[in-house]
Amino acid sequence: MTEETKWLTEQLDRLAQQQPDFTNRAFWLALERVVAEQDRRTEQLGGEVDGRTWSPDRW
Amino acid sequence: MTTLVLVSHPELADSSTQQFLKASLPKTDVVWEHIESQSTIDIEKEQHQLRAADRIILQFPLYWYTAPAGLKQWEDTVLTRNFVYGDRRYPLAGKELGLVVSTGMPATAFQRGGTEGFSLDALLTPFAALAQRARMVWLPTLAIPQFGYLEEPEKLRLVTDYQRYLTQTYPDSLANRQVWFAEQLAKQIAQLPADQRVTGRMLADQFDQRRTAISDLQGTLAMIKEQEDD
Repeated sequence: MTEETKWLTEQLDRLAQQQPDFTNRAFWLALERVVAEQDRRTEQLGGEVDGRTWSPDRW
Repeated sequence: MTTLVLVSHPELADSSTQQFLKASLPKTDVVWEHIESQSTIDIEKEQHQLRAADRIILQFPLYWYTAPAGLKQWEDTVLTRNFVYGDRRYPLAGKELGLVVSTGMPATAFQRGGTEGFSLDALLTPFAALAQRARMVWLPTLAIPQFGYLEEPEKLRLVTDYQRYLTQTYPDSLANRQVWFAEQLAKQIAQLPADQRVTGRMLADQFDQRRTAISDLQGTLAMIKEQEDD
């Protein structure tokens, strides 16, 4: 997890805990999962770009 | 987008699942109706609601491997041959049809070798056949197994899963999820007290930047793949 994602997760957690309404709390926690997914996807896409750019077949 | 939610349950007030789902409904763009509360089925009104909706959700507990009798009666009354396909106008064509089904058995029961032996998809085939006949788009079913056993984190998760099932663009891809969350973020931020709103806006900005970064990476990757094909 990147530092940025860690920070975002903490903020989202705090915001979720501050919501008295159950459905609003659910929203901020669900957003946390999408943020984690963004993190994974960014890393995977970055890895694929690197992999394809440095492919020995292309040397 | 307008979503029509048709709930079939003979005793709605006693159903904690249905009460939970009702409390979780998105605040806008949803029309909710309980079939069994109507003393008579107003065919014209029902057909009008179906025409006006972009997505139609049939929501019910699984009774003997299908919907409660109330929904079948509604189908037989409202979905007349002429309305669905007889006049060759197909008024429901292109609309999406989805099922929200609660079950008393766990998800693992509904598979070959499971205690029920059949998947929900197999059991609910008549609804998929209806969607096909009406030229509708079939959505993957949202199953809610054993609601009574859910712990709070799972219930919290169900709130947004259900809301997204009702209003998020199909299919459920990361791109579509991000669009849905970005839209909801704006609404959620507007509701926050002033001291939390600053954080909310900051989070929304970060979320958008990350969304753009992913889209840029996808663009770069597509370009590399295109060159590889040359």
